[in-house]
Amino acid sequence: MTITTTGRSTAFAEYCAQRIFQPGPEVFIEGNPFRRPIGPPGTGDRDFSVPATEAEFLSSGQLIAGRALCNAYESDMILLPAEGLGPVKDDFDLFYGDEVRRLRDQVRPGLERYAFSFLDDAVPVPAVRTLDELQAYFLAEVGEAGAPADASGNNPAVDAAAPVTGTMRAITECRHPEEAAALHLIQLALDALTEASAMARNLGGSYGAEQSELFKIFLDEFGYGVYGAKHSTIFKEMLASVGLRTDLHAYWNFYLTSSLVGVNYFNWLTEDHRGMFRYMAAVTYLEWLFAQGFADTGAMLRAVYGDRVDAKYCDEHAHIDIHHGRMTYENLLLGLARTHGELVIPELVRGIEDTKLLLRLGDADFRAQIAWADTLDDHTRAGASLASAGLDDAESGTLRPDDPFSTGVHDTDRLIEVTAGEVDVYAWATENPHRLGKGDVLLVPRGRLHGLKAASPEARVTARTAERTSHDG
Amino acid sequence: MARVIVMDLSRHNTVLVGHDRYFVLHTEGRALLVLDRCPHRGGPLSLARRTPDGRRLSCPWHGTKVGVAAVKRTSLPMVRSGDEAVVVLPDGDDEGGEPISVIRKEVLANLPPDAPCAAESAGEAAGAVGAGEVARR
Repeated sequence: MTITTTGRSTAFAEYCAQRIFQPGPEVFIEGNPFRRPIGPPGTGDRDFSVPATEAEFLSSGQLIAGRALCNAYESDMILLPAEGLGPVKDDFDLFYGDEVRRLRDQVRPGLERYAFSFLDDAVPVPAVRTLDELQAYFLAEVGEAGAPADASGNNPAVDAAAPVTGTMRAITECRHPEEAAALHLIQLALDALTEASAMARNLGGSYGAEQSELFKIFLDEFGYGVYGAKHSTIFKEMLASVGLRTDLHAYWNFYLTSSLVGVNYFNWLTEDHRGMFRYMAAVTYLEWLFAQGFADTGAMLRAVYGDRVDAKYCDEHAHIDIHHGRMTYENLLLGLARTHGELVIPELVRGIEDTKLLLRLGDADFRAQIAWADTLDDHTRAGASLASAGLDDAESGTLRPDDPFSTGVHDTDRLIEVTAGEVDVYAWATENPHRLGKGDVLLVPRGRLHGLKAASPEARVTARTAERTSHDG
Repeated sequence: MARVIVMDLSRHNTVLVGHDRYFVLHTEGRALLVLDRCPHRGGPLSLARRTPDGRRLSCPWHGTKVGVAAVKRTSLPMVRSGDEAVVVLPDGDDEGGEPISVIRKEVLANLPPDAPCAAESAGEAAGAVGAGEVARR
């Protein structure tokens, strides 16, 4: 299904124009899970009829579509603010109301096609057809990802003493490691504060022993009915221990494009039940890798925050996902293949290949974001040196402290120049944003999430395309 | 205050005491009333299957292997005469308001390791809540 008609375009504009989907002046959104800005005025005019390519994975279109889809998917979850519904009851009524749901149902198929079609082209599906081939393929893939099966063929035990490497190490090596670690926790929060809600969509129905296997995993995720043991609860405790807000989507403005696409992918597959085989395989692959992954995350958090971090959430996953990796592999992935045969094996493989790609793209996005956000002073000097090299496409605007705040990405490298007053740049969720004064020019590489807020009663900003192609490193 | 119940083992094999559940485990020719909770994450050991050597129970939640010897250590004091068993329950809350009931349910842990079970193919066997046999002293 495509968004090609005037009617559908109008529906997207109407969806974006809803009060709860428009930005307010706040950088962090507290106590209101229904306020979730899609973008600044004009966002609704976008055309999503041509699917984004892999090269456009971090485009402004993917960010906008990702926010809109997140709103759509979560409107069939029950979300209530911890401090009580009273102050936001009107927003609750609007978010779940007839009109927003009608618009949601109109725009969602076209946005899904825009956001996820690139997977069809970008993911070559290996020729895996039989149960034996599926087993060999899966074990080779997890081996390649650094988590080979142990001697018994099971998910390996966690190596708690493993050195911190990769992205976790990159966080610890930032000049501002706490901001970088916080940005990582915020990306996790997009899913973890509603943890297993997508999974819950696959609990109903009647599909044999695999259904009961998924339910057992769900029981763990939901803490066996004990609120204090629910994974989302211990995730909140982890956020609180390092001084981060625990309200759902308090950091809405700081979800990276790749994080939105990744979480939406699982909501998409569970919303459209034709995706169930892909989903089960994707979950299997992730659960297998999560045990060591969360052990590494815990080590990173302890290195950055020291004793004050409550990393029980990471410890819990480092333990329980050893079991989940084995359970999903033996009883979901192989179980579905045994029961339904070679007909479904290509779809199972597809789910794993999709997930591998989304993990790779997401990791690159996050690494590029922290590398840039950590060196805004360097990029301000780079901007000054490039100031004369900007294209003649300047857009100017005036900012005031109470103007609506939203973050976004540009599809080209941009030079942002402050021509009057002072401006705060938010490249991650910090209480100490990067301050630009009059005459400063900041280089913003394409795809890098940022938001601007006036730090003086009035500020004037000019943005131009930089004549460079990539500074993501 | 000690609480005692009398249960008919020909009709019932499970006792619910507040939030705790005990089931009759047959081992080495004896019937023991043991805690129906895996020490790992609380899974229902009554639905566990025996390992091939018969010495351990494989929890249905995470496959954790729990030694029968360890499970036996959770048993409640019980004196049996034929099918009648007198069981001493653990101390309850001060008000003595903890609900107690006896039921019969499918217990897979008593099946031989390789025996098929109804619950695996046709769902959980119906459990009938016992109406009587509960007494307090």
